[in-house]
Amino acid sequence: MQRPMSKRRGAALEGSPWTPYVFIFPLVAYLFAILAGPLLQEFWISFTDTSLMRPDAGQFIGLSNYRFIISDPNFHQVLIVTALYTAGSVVFGIGLGLGTALLMNHDFRGRSVARALVTIPWAAPSVAVALIFSWMFNAQYGIFTILQKSLGLASGAENWLDSTTFALPAVLIATVWQIFPFSSVVILAALQGVPSEVKEAAIIDRADRLNVFKTVTWPTIAPTVALISLFTTIWSLRRFDIIWILTGGGPLGATNTLVTELYREGFIYRDLGTAAAIGMIGLLIASVVTLLYYGASRRAEMRARGAA
Amino acid sequence: MKGTSPFVFGVLIVLGLIVFPFYWMLVTATTPPDQLMIETPTLVPSFTRLGVFVEVFSAVPIASWLTNSFIVAAGTTVLCLILSVLPAYALSRFRFRGKAMLALGLFVTQMLPEAMLLVPLYAVFRSLELLDTLTGLIIANAAFGAPIVTWILKGAFDAIPQEVEEAARIDGCSRFDIVMGVALPLVAPTLAATAVIAFFHGWNEYLFAQTFINAADLRPASVGIAGLVGEYAVPIHLVMATGIIYTLPSIVFYLIAQRYVVSGLTAGSVKG
Repeated sequence: MQRPMSKRRGAALEGSPWTPYVFIFPLVAYLFAILAGPLLQEFWISFTDTSLMRPDAGQFIGLSNYRFIISDPNFHQVLIVTALYTAGSVVFGIGLGLGTALLMNHDFRGRSVARALVTIPWAAPSVAVALIFSWMFNAQYGIFTILQKSLGLASGAENWLDSTTFALPAVLIATVWQIFPFSSVVILAALQGVPSEVKEAAIIDRADRLNVFKTVTWPTIAPTVALISLFTTIWSLRRFDIIWILTGGGPLGATNTLVTELYREGFIYRDLGTAAAIGMIGLLIASVVTLLYYGASRRAEMRARGAA
Repeated sequence: MKGTSPFVFGVLIVLGLIVFPFYWMLVTATTPPDQLMIETPTLVPSFTRLGVFVEVFSAVPIASWLTNSFIVAAGTTVLCLILSVLPAYALSRFRFRGKAMLALGLFVTQMLPEAMLLVPLYAVFRSLELLDTLTGLIIANAAFGAPIVTWILKGAFDAIPQEVEEAARIDGCSRFDIVMGVALPLVAPTLAATAVIAFFHGWNEYLFAQTFINAADLRPASVGIAGLVGEYAVPIHLVMATGIIYTLPSIVFYLIAQRYVVSGLTAGSVKG
């Protein structure tokens, strides 16, 4: 038997103790079959030489796949690109999101329309986002190129997506454009929790805006910003469509992240074993990030409690 | 603090950045092709050329792509809702051993890169003959959509007062009847919002479709359109028209359901 129901819930709502399990069973079974089971299989495949041509005929080869990946200098580049892509997405995605949320938190005419408009990139399919940005970056007729030329910034005629220097920034521009609306909406919601009396009192006291932000606004929204940063990090580690469609991970691996590398190994080079091992390394990184985040937020919480 | 001009200015810049790529899609789609491949760009859409949106149906197999996307999206929605309603109710109303584990498990699914499951799912689907079928895509998509739907619906059930259900309970209704007859109608707006989320999860999905679908006539729009990027076989104005037709439903439905979508998601992430 479980713990007794809280009194508020009352006897009328108590049913068979099996009811909750009956209710959750189909979903749990489904997630085991489609997510957890395959995940375990992925773990196994990463120790085999399974190929795409004969997925059932993999032989156990121990740690060979991992050894191959770790000693591969290309893979070191993959890790660096992944770190840069993730850091760029988090810094600019959250930064722009925070700025936009602070702007939208003011009263102005047409605010609700503005709020609705702000979120639409996030609703747009990534494939469409990649499509429009690839056209805007077009070397000859793309609006970015034309803009650069008219500002006299560059000799032009270079497609950012074909440049080992500019491909990653270009992919980041498209990515950030799509993701910052989400963080802005969530941060905006958190801003509603900032006690307005405290803020007004601080303004009457002639505290300057920056100070109000630091002492009143930021402490209220910090946990949300931290959580959104975690999500943005994890989502950047798993993002595939925008990168793959814009650059395919190129040129020369300049935008090749863990996920595009996984896809390339598994479904271009047809080496499912190596792809699986890359996947396991990706999962390890995502787990470490999540644990670090929980450790940090636990400590911040304890510090806040200690200060109170 | 009433709308002082620097704020309005900032808002306009942000809105400009957000709207511009969509606007540029429209400009590109409606500009005569001979004026696109020159270095002085046309800057305004030409509304006399809206005929491209009809023309494109004969130039690109977009009708078949959209039909496939619709089937995948609708199937994903139905499967997500079937899988999610009862667990969401259970998470909201019952105390049971393993509840925290379930909540954690749902959260973990959001951390998993889809790409991680490509390899094993490819193997599983191959043996079940689900490769090259839309059913396979629906099954894979629902596994990622259902946890989000469950989480948002749980938040909606939390907001219903217990008393409403107690009356029905005293009348001898079973728990299942209460969920379907009493609780579910009360969360109808959220249910609609989750349906929109699940639908566009399926509509937008690219990775599984790209990997599992080989046959040209089974391609959904995401894969079809991705194939047009950087190709010059189809003129760019028609490519952009295709992109607009594919994007428009996502944005229109999102704007309609926006209030519920945003409140559901923010409730999940701020409080969750």
